[in-house]
Amino acid sequence: MSAFVFRLKQDPDRRVDLSGLVPEALRGRSDKAITRLPLNTGKLRVGDVFSLRMGDTPQLRFEGGSERFDLVGANMASGEIIVEGSVGEQAGRLMRAGKLHIQGDAGPFAASRLKGGHVEIDGDAGARLGAPLAGEMAGMAGGVVIVHGGVGARAGDRLRRGLIVVGGTSGEDAGSRMIAGTLVLQGKITGTPGRLMRRGTIVLLGADYSPSPTFLDCGSHLLVAASLLAAELERLGVGSARRLRRSVRRLAGDMAVGGKGEIWISSSDLR
Amino acid sequence: MIRLRGGRVIDPAHGRDEIADVWIEDGRIVTPPAGGQPAESFDISGKIVMAGAIDIHSHIAGANVNTARLLLPEFHRAHLPRPGATPLTELGWSTIETGRLYAAMGFTTVVEPAVAPHTALHAHLELADTPLIDKAILAVLGNEDFLLALMREKEGLGAVRDYVSSMLSSSRALGVKVINAGAAMAFKHNLRSFGLDDVVPTYGVTSREIVSALQQAVHELGVPHPLHLHCNNLGLAGNVETALETIEAFDGLPIHLAHLQFYSYGTQGKRGFSSAAARLAEAVNAAKNVTIDVGQVMFGQTVTVSSDVLRQFAATKFAHPRKSVIIDGDGNGGGVVPMAYRQSSFTNAVQWAAGLELFLLVENPWRVFFTTDHPNGAPFTSYPELFALLMDRNLRAAWTDRLPKPALAMTTLPSLGREYTLFEIATMTRAAPAKLLGLKDRGHLAQGALADIAVYHDRQDRAEMFRAAHLVFKNGKLVVRDGKVTREIKGKTLHVTPSHDAAIDRKLDRYYEHLYGVPRRSFVVPHEARCFLGEFEQVPCVA
Repeated sequence: MSAFVFRLKQDPDRRVDLSGLVPEALRGRSDKAITRLPLNTGKLRVGDVFSLRMGDTPQLRFEGGSERFDLVGANMASGEIIVEGSVGEQAGRLMRAGKLHIQGDAGPFAASRLKGGHVEIDGDAGARLGAPLAGEMAGMAGGVVIVHGGVGARAGDRLRRGLIVVGGTSGEDAGSRMIAGTLVLQGKITGTPGRLMRRGTIVLLGADYSPSPTFLDCGSHLLVAASLLAAELERLGVGSARRLRRSVRRLAGDMAVGGKGEIWISSSDLR
Repeated sequence: MIRLRGGRVIDPAHGRDEIADVWIEDGRIVTPPAGGQPAESFDISGKIVMAGAIDIHSHIAGANVNTARLLLPEFHRAHLPRPGATPLTELGWSTIETGRLYAAMGFTTVVEPAVAPHTALHAHLELADTPLIDKAILAVLGNEDFLLALMREKEGLGAVRDYVSSMLSSSRALGVKVINAGAAMAFKHNLRSFGLDDVVPTYGVTSREIVSALQQAVHELGVPHPLHLHCNNLGLAGNVETALETIEAFDGLPIHLAHLQFYSYGTQGKRGFSSAAARLAEAVNAAKNVTIDVGQVMFGQTVTVSSDVLRQFAATKFAHPRKSVIIDGDGNGGGVVPMAYRQSSFTNAVQWAAGLELFLLVENPWRVFFTTDHPNGAPFTSYPELFALLMDRNLRAAWTDRLPKPALAMTTLPSLGREYTLFEIATMTRAAPAKLLGLKDRGHLAQGALADIAVYHDRQDRAEMFRAAHLVFKNGKLVVRDGKVTREIKGKTLHVTPSHDAAIDRKLDRYYEHLYGVPRRSFVVPHEARCFLGEFEQVPCVA
């Protein structure tokens, strides 16, 4: 029992589309057939970029990453993909189930419109984590995304369902236009989290935060929901979640759009 | 010299349906030379030869179309999977793709039927970028302050005629379209419904008067294409009364009623929405001055793009996906509302059936035209499926089996057994449109005609047959082979230039200077700049 291993021969000289390399697409294919799969960029094929070691489990391991690897694990429906390195844009886009573990950094639109499954990024993620592409109406619709490093601007844009946890610094306007769902920010924040959010919950743990005037301070509370979330976050290994077991400050908004969303802040952090 | 040998030539303009050769020389069809040797010969025995098809009503360019592109970037084919790095030519819905897709189906002339004169330059620039097909625009008049003020001041029909002529020339249009006459102006005064005899606030003119004046003006100017009318009350239950009233009101002179399917609704049944297409078709059959196009609805996602701002405003609450743009601009303004027509929807099923009823019940294929009002009823790429539906009653039955029964009960479609013949299809898409637009050099295959020719495989599956033409010639050049574009050439843009008293131009100059503080020439499509605007061809007016 072993995983399929794709060892990077050398950094590709152009962007490559790896959406074809997901466990269910490899099932029943010979190694020749796999190395001949197209990468949707000119004549480049899998065998030109990777040397392949066949496996017999629905697991893929990329030995070596590149910021030119786009759409890693896109549309994945089962199994596991591990990337020992960084990836480009739209990693895990529209993924339905399974596990995607990126041990380096991810580019913009990581976990874009994720529907289910588990995405873990050890390094940083680019702008618009979980967000829809231009024109699309809703962002992430389910699943869990954990980023240990920082994230770019507007993480969780139009988030609709599911959980995003960010360990490091988050870029401008995290949780912008949120429709529902939960966004947990453990590190420093910039800009205005929750700008134009309608519903959903943004949790700030350890943030130095001055509320936007369109969020209303509702005071400190001991929320049952907060301790339930704390339990779930602790299960996922988020240490600072224990703060949610104390009282949290609740802000309601974004009133600029008549929003019914909320921002929770562990009380000691409110400036 | 090129010879197309042994195909079945279907040329309704000359009543021909026979096995014959077609000869091409210098971009024209010529008589077979005695003992002449062709430089190139195509054996097309067993294949069908028709003139290049002509689409008289398809929104393929202009400001509203572009707004739709901007509103719906996720509809571009290349949006998934690779947004950043795809060459523009591979984007769906681009000018280039439009020309190529039309040509692949054997269409060689397409009319963009709704261009506000102020945005004509933009539309022409887009059309110049649309390869392979010849193009034309219709200028939208009937809601702008200048015209309504002329009528309020009772300047007389002569002034209206001069104005129409001036606008046709400055926007380089092939004809005039009027969209919900007066309603867009009334919309600005907060009216939300507008009928044929409603009065435009502050102007004191009715929809009926505006349409009548424009119909008269177009006729007197000798513009070959009669006034192209988008009636009031589009899309509302019971609006068949409006359509019937319109047919009755504008008898005498020729008039073209656009996308009539959207006006064929009654109020029968417990939902108060039914197809009244049978009644409407009867009225059309009786009114010999009327031509129609259908505006067939096909199921699937599309976007409605219309200068009927009043209607589009009402439609915004049905938008799918839930986003839309309304432009309350000068003249008509417009609206872009994405729409998903669903087979399981009672309303959409009635609309689909009503369109087919019109096709099947209007007896004379010279007077009913093939459109989906692209993209309002469906994208033009669904034409092949529609051809198949018209030609095969069993296929229609298979489709109707999947529709909600209560919807079908509101139509007469299941009782209609008519099947279009290839000859009738050729009439409707070739001979009749050429006649309606006054284009004598196309739509037929006689000597002297432009060598715009489509050759099809004679397949059982008509959709497959019309989706990918075997060969398409544009101006005598082979541009498509088996549905694939093999060569990209530029088409021309057709327009009319009627003559008028220059006094109206001076009046318009003063008007623009006074009202907008912008010289009128900013909006005139220039005669120079051919490198950007491509080649124009003037279509003569009728004396």
